[in-house]
Amino acid sequence: MTATSAAALPASTEAAPAARRWAAPLWVGALLIILTFLVIYPLLMLFFGAISDSNPVIDGFGKFNPSLTHFIAVLGNENVRLAFFNALVACGGGTILAVVIGLAFSWIVVRTNTPFKGFIAGASMIPLFVPPLVAGVAWSILGSPKTGLLNTALKWSGIDFRFDFYSMSGLILVFGFYYAPYVYMFTASALRNMDPSLEEASEVAGASAFTTLFTVTFPLIAPAILAGSLLSFVVMLGIYGVPAALGAPANISVLTTYIFKLTAWAPPLYNTAAAVAILLMMVTAILVWAQQRVLSGRSFATVAGKAFRPRSLNLGPWRWLTFSLALVYLFVVVVLPTIALVIAAFRRFLFFKDFDAVFDMKAYSWVHFNSIFDNPLTMISIWNTMKVGVITAVVGGVLAFAIGYTINRTQVAGRKSIDLLSTIPVAIPGLVVGVAYLWAWIGLPGGLYGTIWILALAFVARFIPDTVKSLSTSFMQIHKELEEAAWICGRGLLSTIATIMVPLARPGIIASMTLLFVLAVRELGSSLFLYTSDTTVMAVLLLDYYEGGNIGKTAAFSLVQTVILGVLLGITTWLSRGSAESTARAG
Amino acid sequence: MKRRTILAGIAGAAATAALPARAQQDAFGSKELIAAAEKEGGLTLYTADFAETQQEVIREFNKRFPKIKVAMVRAPGGQLITRIKTEAAADKLGADVVNHSDRGLMLEIADLFQDYAPPNAADYRKDALVSPKLWPGVTLGWAIAYNTQLVKNAPKTWMDLTKPEYKDKQIGQVIGPSGGTTWTRIMFERQVLGEDYWKKQAALNIALYPSGAPLSDALVRGEVSIAPLLYNIIFTKIVEGAPAEAIFAPEGVPIVPYADGITKSSKNPNAARLFMNWRLSKEGQTFMINKLGNITSLSEPPAYPKGWDPKVIKVWVPKFEEFDKLRASWMEEWNKTYGYRQ
Repeated sequence: MTATSAAALPASTEAAPAARRWAAPLWVGALLIILTFLVIYPLLMLFFGAISDSNPVIDGFGKFNPSLTHFIAVLGNENVRLAFFNALVACGGGTILAVVIGLAFSWIVVRTNTPFKGFIAGASMIPLFVPPLVAGVAWSILGSPKTGLLNTALKWSGIDFRFDFYSMSGLILVFGFYYAPYVYMFTASALRNMDPSLEEASEVAGASAFTTLFTVTFPLIAPAILAGSLLSFVVMLGIYGVPAALGAPANISVLTTYIFKLTAWAPPLYNTAAAVAILLMMVTAILVWAQQRVLSGRSFATVAGKAFRPRSLNLGPWRWLTFSLALVYLFVVVVLPTIALVIAAFRRFLFFKDFDAVFDMKAYSWVHFNSIFDNPLTMISIWNTMKVGVITAVVGGVLAFAIGYTINRTQVAGRKSIDLLSTIPVAIPGLVVGVAYLWAWIGLPGGLYGTIWILALAFVARFIPDTVKSLSTSFMQIHKELEEAAWICGRGLLSTIATIMVPLARPGIIASMTLLFVLAVRELGSSLFLYTSDTTVMAVLLLDYYEGGNIGKTAAFSLVQTVILGVLLGITTWLSRGSAESTARAG
Repeated sequence: MKRRTILAGIAGAAATAALPARAQQDAFGSKELIAAAEKEGGLTLYTADFAETQQEVIREFNKRFPKIKVAMVRAPGGQLITRIKTEAAADKLGADVVNHSDRGLMLEIADLFQDYAPPNAADYRKDALVSPKLWPGVTLGWAIAYNTQLVKNAPKTWMDLTKPEYKDKQIGQVIGPSGGTTWTRIMFERQVLGEDYWKKQAALNIALYPSGAPLSDALVRGEVSIAPLLYNIIFTKIVEGAPAEAIFAPEGVPIVPYADGITKSSKNPNAARLFMNWRLSKEGQTFMINKLGNITSLSEPPAYPKGWDPKVIKVWVPKFEEFDKLRASWMEEWNKTYGYRQ
C-alpha cells in the first residue's frame, strides 16, 4: 500500500492519468483512518472517561452523563497543583541537564578525534535501556541518605559529606542522566549528517572553533536539539519509576505518582485519573505548539547533493580531557548504577552493616538468577517481548516512515492534520492510556484481544510521536534537490524514495526502529491491561518482582533485560555503521 | 511455644498423609469431578496476590493434580478489577477463578460469579464470608517486623509502636489509602488500640511507604528499623536468612480474608471447582500457612505460623458493614493525622 500510493504523490504529475490524481487524497485518507483508529478512538474513550463516571464498555455510551466534576475536583485539589509544580521543576531541571550532557556527548563522539569514540557512543546509550523503575531502584541503593552505598563508602573513608538522592535535586540529576541519550540520539544523527563546509566557511572567516560551535553548528542542528529536549521533557513527565523510588521517600509527589495512586486505590478512580491525564496532555500540546512556532519558516537542510564526510576536529592533547569527561559521565551513569544492580542481583540481602560488608563474598550467590530462571514465565516473557518488540519496530517503523515522509516531503492537503494526530499520543501517560486501549479495542471483532498483536498495536500507537519525530529530523536535513535530481532523471516517486531517501535516511531509520524496539520492551502501562497468561511480557514480570518486594530478583531480571537489549543494540549499531559507510562511499 | 507450632504442623501434615486415597479425593471433590477436571486439563487464574506466591500454590496443587495446568494473570488490585469488569462487559472474561484481596470490590461484582461452596464450607468462620459465592482461599495477617541488626530493644506489642524511643523515621508504615489490607489494620488500630493511637504514632515522625512490598525491602536494607507488615511479605525473607524477625502482638492480629470465586463464564468449571476445593481444603490451607506465611479463616486452624500461641493471640476480623461505611471518613482523618497528601 505504501509503495503504490506513495508513487502517485509528486505534484508535478499533471500528465498523469486521473486515477493517479486520486491517489494523493486516498493516501492521506488512509493515513488519517489508521491514525484515527490508533489515536483518536482511544483518546475519545479517555475524554469520555474524564467527563463522566462511567466505563464506556460496561455502561455503554447510552449512559453517558457528561459532567465537569472530575475536572473541577482535579483543578481545585491543592495536592494536584503541588504535584504539577513538582513535575514541572523536576522535568524542566532534568531536561536542561539532559541537553547539556546529550549535546556535549554527541559533539565529542561525532565531531572530535577523542579516542575510543565507538566505545563511548555505545556505552552512552545504555541508560536508555534501563527501565525507569530499575534506574530509580539503582539510585536509591546508591544514594539513600541512610543506607546508600555512596554514603557508606564516604563514612568509611571519614568524609563528612553525604548524598541525598531522596530529594528534588536527586530527581533532577537522575532524570538528566537517564534521558540525555534522547537528546544525544537526535543531535548525533544531525551532526553526522551536517555539511562541514558551513563550519569551514565560519573558520575561514576567522571564527574560533568554539565560536563556530555556538554560532554555526548548534544553531544548525537546532531542530534536533529542540526535538530531543521536547521529547525528553515529555517522556520525563510520563515516567513513574524514578519519582516512585526517589520522590516517594521524601514525600515529593509528581503527576504520574498521583495518577498511579488514583488507579491503584480501591476502588480505582480511573475517571479522575483520566482528568489528570488530560491536564498533562494540555501542557504537552502547548510545548509542541511552541516548538512548531520556533521552527516554522526556517530551513534546516544541511545534507545537500555534495559528497562529504563528517568533519572531525583535531583537539590535540585536549582530546584526553574530552575523553576523561566522557569517562566520568559513563562512570556515573553506567558503571555506578550497574555496580549497584550487580550487587543487588548477586547479594542475598541488601543490608550493609558497614562498607567492609560489601566485600563479604559469602553474601553473594546466583540464588536470584536461579530463581528467576526456575520461573517458567521468565522464558515465555522474554520470547514474547522479543516478538512484540520486532513487530512494533517493523510495523511502527513503516508507518512512521510513511507519516514522516508525507509530513516533511510532500505538500498534500491534510498533512498538517496527520502531523497533529501523530503527535498527540506523546502526551498521554502510559498508566492511563492502557485502560483507554482496553476500552477501545476489546470490542473489536475477530480474535485480536488476548494476542501479541494487540500489544504491538498499543505500542505502535503509543510511540508513533517518538518514531516520527526522530525520523523527521533525518528527513528535514535531506535537501529537496536530491529528490528533484532523481525526478529529472525520470525516476518515479517510489523509485526516488527507494534510491535516495531510504539510503540517505538509513541511520535515522535504524535509530528510530531501535528506539521503538527499546520503548516497546520497556513499556509497562499499556501492557498491564492487554497481556494475558500466554502473552506476558518482561515489563509485566519485572513489576511482579518489584511489587513482590524482591529487590534481588528485580535487579537480576533487569540485568538480564539489559544484556539482551545491549546485544541487540550492538547489532543495530554495527548495521547502521555499515550503512553509513556505504552511503559515504556512494556519495 | 515453638515445639507446639512444630507439633501442630507435623500433626496437620501427618493427618493429610495418613488419609486413605479415597478419603483424600473426597476432601477435594468426587471422582467424577476430578475426572471431568482432568479432561478439561487447565484453567486460568486472575490474581491480585503476589505472582510468585500464587505460583507456589499452583506448583503444590500440581503435585496432587499434575494433569491440570493453571495459567495466571496477575495485576495490582484496582487495575485487576477494572480489567475484569471490562472483559466481562465485552463478553471476553478470560478468568475461571479470581483471587482478590478486597472483599468490598469483589462483592460489587458478585454477579459475575457462580454459586459455589467447598466440601468443607462449614469449617470456615462466618465473619470471613461476604457472599455465598466468594471464599477466603487466602487469608493474611498483620505482624510487627523489625531489623535484627538495628533494633536492640524489639517491640512486643502494637502499643510499643507509640514509644518515643522509636522516633525519627525508625518506624515505617504503609499509607492508609493503599488498599483493603491496610484499611483493615488502621481500623484495628483505632477500634482496638484507642482513638488517639494514630496521633501518638504520627508524633514519632514515621516514614510512609506506598505499599507493603517496598516497605519490607526497606526494612531488610535498614532504611527503616521497624514496620507493621503482612506476615507473608516478610516471612519468605526471614526463611531465606534476611536480618529480620516478625512477631504477632498480643492485642490482636488483624486478618484479611480474600474473596475468591469461580466465574459464571468459566470455560473449565470442573477444573476451577477442583482448584478452589483444594485451595480451601485443610491440605491447601496448611501448605499456605507453613510455606507461605499465610493465616487461615478456618475456625480451627490446621497449623499456626511460627511464634503464634493460640492461647494468647486472637485474630481480629473487621465487621464488614463498618469496613465499608467508615472507610472514607476515617481515611481522611488518617491522612490528616499522618500528614499524607492525597
